[in-house]
This record gives sequence, structure tokens and C-alpha cells, in this order.
Amino acid sequence: MAVRPVVALPDHRLKVPSQPVGRIDDTARALAADLVDTMRSRPACVGLAAPQIGVGLRAFVVDVSGHRKAHTCHGEVVLFDPEIVDSHSPVLAREGCLSVPDLTGDVARAGVVVVRGLTLDGDVRTIETDAFEARAILHEVDHLDGLLFLDRVESHDRVFRRKVYR
Amino acid sequence: MAHVVVIAVGADRPGIVASVTGVLVEHGCNLEDTSMTILRGHFTMMLVVETPPDGDREALTKGLTAAAAAVDVSLSVMPIEEGVTESPPGDPWTVSVYGADRPGIVYGVASLLARLGININDLTTRVAGTSGEPVYAMVLEVTIPPGVHPRELGMGLEALAGELGVEHSLHPSDADIL
Repeated sequence: MAVRPVVALPDHRLKVPSQPVGRIDDTARALAADLVDTMRSRPACVGLAAPQIGVGLRAFVVDVSGHRKAHTCHGEVVLFDPEIVDSHSPVLAREGCLSVPDLTGDVARAGVVVVRGLTLDGDVRTIETDAFEARAILHEVDHLDGLLFLDRVESHDRVFRRKVYR
Repeated sequence: MAHVVVIAVGADRPGIVASVTGVLVEHGCNLEDTSMTILRGHFTMMLVVETPPDGDREALTKGLTAAAAAVDVSLSVMPIEEGVTESPPGDPWTVSVYGADRPGIVYGVASLLARLGININDLTTRVAGTSGEPVYAMVLEVTIPPGVHPRELGMGLEALAGELGVEHSLHPSDADIL
């Protein structure tokens, strides 16, 4: 359990698709703990995927508790080998990423998402969510596929310099 | 590190960016922030360029001008001040103003923003529609400083849009770090 350094561009590891975790053992749980600790160590960070701490495995954590743009909220969510089962109703909003310093961009993402994955106990969990939690989950799952928000910006001129973390 | 701004404009055609940036590479320059787009058929480039410490500014300007002329582009190189502060503090908002084209739309909006101490970060305007009934559309990204309420801008825009007979909207464009 530790706060790990966050991998940022131009590190190519961010662009490499991650491998399935498969069996949820103590190593997988330790990875999840590191993801949670690292996410909690950064102000206003609401999610983190394993490649962002340099681990090429399909695992992420999100927690949008108390965020003003959140509607449905499942608290701290850790999922391994997540799959997007359904997604629809796209919404455009501006995103930044710990792994992409200084820039933000407008990205359309589904406003309603159903995601299925494995929990810390290795059980299958299906989460249906919307609004900001849906966006956060889609952003993290993108990391597992080697995709950054820069790969999804809505328009070439919609990339901005980030002001401040909030 | 010294920086220069390169500004170039010419009738649009393939190869303009390659011609200009080729000279920059030859002279060991590094492209930083740039904005390049087509405005009414003219390709326009604005480039902030880092020049090498031992660079020959005169040779660079000469090379760039010659390369630009070869693709019918006029170009100028200007030194810029170092250590300029990036941008004032505040929250990013997006302003849209659009409607029947008439003189004074940009001036009206910009004057309102200046009066409120609101900085413009990005401004794009386009004329669309037919020549008989042109439509003017303007989208701005602004920074509303601490101490100015977005409602003040909203009320100012409301009044101005009424005077100019145009539509407007205002929405926050702050980003969430995911």
C-alpha cells in the first residue's frame, strides 16, 4: 500500500493496452490499494487506472463522492477486467488527466453506462451509472485500452491549457 | 532561450506548413504553441518559436521569407518578450454570440469584457449563411477573475445582445481532472 508516482506523457506506457488481471489474488488487491492511495493523494482526483502508475493490468478505481457534477454515485469503486456492457446518451464536457499535464479538452462520453467487472473479492459486479461517474469510468477504461482524452477530443481546436486543479 | 513569433498568411494550398516548418527545423528552432487555420480561404499561421541560443536571427528570417514566398505566403518574424505571465487567475467560461451580421458585435462584446476585467483566452468568429442574409457567429473562451460574478457578465451580455439584436449564451467550461 503506497502512493506511487503517476506516469505522464510522453511516457509510451500510457498508450499500451493493458493485460487482463484474471485471478483476483493478494497481488491484485495490493495494486488496487496502491491505486486508491495514489488517487487519494492527489487533490480533486476522482479516478485512476493501473497504467497511470506504470502497471499494465486492467484495473481502475473511481470515487466521485461529493462531486457537484455527480448524480448516481457508488462511492469508492474498484474494478478488475472491466467491460462496458452498455453506453448511450453522449454528453460533451471538458476533461483533464493527471497523466496529461497542463492540457484539457472537450470530450463527448456516454451519459449512461453499464460496466461489469471483478471486485476485490473476485465476484462479478455490474454497475449502472450516469453523469459524472459514467464519464469517470469511461475515462479510466480508456486508459486500459491505451487511450487518452487527447485521442477523443471533439474538435482539434478544443484543447486548452489547464488553469488549476480544483 | 529566445523566442520569436512567426506570422504568415497566404492563399490556401497544400505545402505551406511544410515549407515554413522545414526552415525552422533547418535552423534548429523548436515550435511551441501555434495556431493555424483557414480564414476565408487564406491560410494563417501564428507560431511561437524557440530559437537556439547561438541562432542567426537574420538568416532565419531570410530563409523563412524565401520559403514562404515560394508558396505565395507573406511572412514576418517578430521577437517577443521573455517571462510573460501565462494568464490571469480565474475560471474559464465560454461565451457564444450569434445572429444577423452587423458591425460592432466583436467590439461590443470585447468592450463589455474589458470593462469587467475579464480576459479573452480564445476568440473565433465566422461569417456564415447567404450573402443576402449573413449570419455572424462568435465563440469566446474567457477567464472570469475572482471578484467578478458570472451573473454580471450574463446581465451585460443580455443588455448588449438586446441592443445588437443577436443571441447569446454563457456557460462554465472548467475541466474535471479524471
